[in-house]
Amino acid sequence: MDKTDIINIENLTRDYGNGKGIFDVSFQVGKGEVFGFLGPNGAGKTTTIRHLMGFIKPKSGACTINGHSCWKESDVIQRTLGYIPGEISFFDDMTGAEFLKFISKYRGIGCNSRQKELMELFDVNPKGKIKKMSKGMKQKIGIVAAFMHDPDILILDEPTSGLDPLMQNRFVKFIGEEKGRGKTILLSSHIFEEVERTCDRIGIIREGKLVTVDSVEELRKRHMYPYTVTLDSENEAKGFAKAFDGKRDGLKVTVTAKQSLEDIFMHYYGGREDD
Amino acid sequence: MINLTLYKREMKSSVKLLVIFAAIMTMYVSIIITMYDPEMMETLDGFVEVMPEIMAAVGMEAGATSLLGFMISYLYGFILLVFPMVFCILRGNGLIAKYVDRGSMVSLAAAPVKRRTIALTQMAVLLSGILILLIYVTGLEIAVAQSSFPNELAVSELLKLNGGLFCLHLFIGSICFAASCIFSDTKYSIAFGAGIPSLMYILQMLANAGEEAEKVKYFTLFTLFDAEGITAGKGSAVAGAAVLAVGAVAMYGVGIAAFSKKDLHI
Repeated sequence: MDKTDIINIENLTRDYGNGKGIFDVSFQVGKGEVFGFLGPNGAGKTTTIRHLMGFIKPKSGACTINGHSCWKESDVIQRTLGYIPGEISFFDDMTGAEFLKFISKYRGIGCNSRQKELMELFDVNPKGKIKKMSKGMKQKIGIVAAFMHDPDILILDEPTSGLDPLMQNRFVKFIGEEKGRGKTILLSSHIFEEVERTCDRIGIIREGKLVTVDSVEELRKRHMYPYTVTLDSENEAKGFAKAFDGKRDGLKVTVTAKQSLEDIFMHYYGGREDD
Repeated sequence: MINLTLYKREMKSSVKLLVIFAAIMTMYVSIIITMYDPEMMETLDGFVEVMPEIMAAVGMEAGATSLLGFMISYLYGFILLVFPMVFCILRGNGLIAKYVDRGSMVSLAAAPVKRRTIALTQMAVLLSGILILLIYVTGLEIAVAQSSFPNELAVSELLKLNGGLFCLHLFIGSICFAASCIFSDTKYSIAFGAGIPSLMYILQMLANAGEEAEKVKYFTLFTLFDAEGITAGKGSAVAGAAVLAVGAVAMYGVGIAAFSKKDLHI
């Protein structure tokens, strides 16, 4: 384990039977790093995260955050950790404002909370019962709750689900800023582009097994294919570049074909398809 | 030890239920106590003569001579057993299992608060609810009795009696609480948390009703609450209450340990 590693997962295994679970997962997230945890639904992302949060006891293997055992010392870890759950489920009987106030007091956060700043940034309207809020608004409340105590470590389980594209962009930008402030972030997602835009390194998990851990640059090089085409007129080239999101240089336009996430999985699984 | 913010929130959710149960018990307790009247007693004893099994099943026996004896016969066999029990069942399930089942336990567990602290807080909420309910009933009983029949009620004996009743409900609450902690599914939490106490009460009714079924009393913990024995200061009755209290402590311990150690798929 490197001294600068904040999150450390070693040979974590949890077998739920029927091939479900996670098997021998190991990876590290260094200080100030944004780590993308990529995989399709049911691949084991949330199971891994539950171990990190101390919700589940490791059956074999271990995971630590800042050198503390995630299972035994979760209360110590939680002091400097922010978490957005994959499935938002707050106290339905409360309004958004009441919930945020409750969590602040429950966590014992003083008056140096970032709550107000975050609510403005994400356009949160905390009035009204949580039960009646839209999925996106609940998600935004979840973002505020995770970041308001200004934690050093963030575990975000599909944080942009339910957000509109505008808010997704704002969130991606926000993650960049938080990284700039030295935060260590683990971000899970099933959308390649989202992870690609925010993360330094990406770990891909499928059927409970970590398939690859690589830098975004490496993955991009490996899974994006640039093509350069020459068109007849500048107008055509302009239109083509616009339509296919390419780079134009005179009559030449370079477009990039991205492999879909599934294709990337296929790459790592040698085309094996059994589910 | 406990998280005050959570305690306050949960007590607030208890209020509505407490008010409802207090209202129901106010009605029954005041009606029944004011019915105490040597002439009325004959009417009730008449009922007992006509349908002894049914009256015995709900713990009502003929021939109570004092006001307290009358109250034991007509309040401590059904009303003051069942209503606090239903409160324990409803509240017990809502304290842990419902949060886990719905996933909102995430908000409580993803914070620098130990699971043991969460469980202890929720236990304190249940205990406070039971205590408030029984203190209210005691006050109500004294108030109604004194206003209707001044100086008829043996208050110190009533306090002993309700102390025993508290031990019983402490234990019933501990069953509900442990079920809530052990099972992550409200389905099972309710099945055990409500099922065990209800079944025991039904066995108690059977044991009261028939001579052949009397042996059933060895299978129900309600037997350990001996109302007449406690007011009379009988050693076996006090021991029974003590067993209930010790059992309650053990069951709360089991619940807290189970919740602290279990996997939360939230």
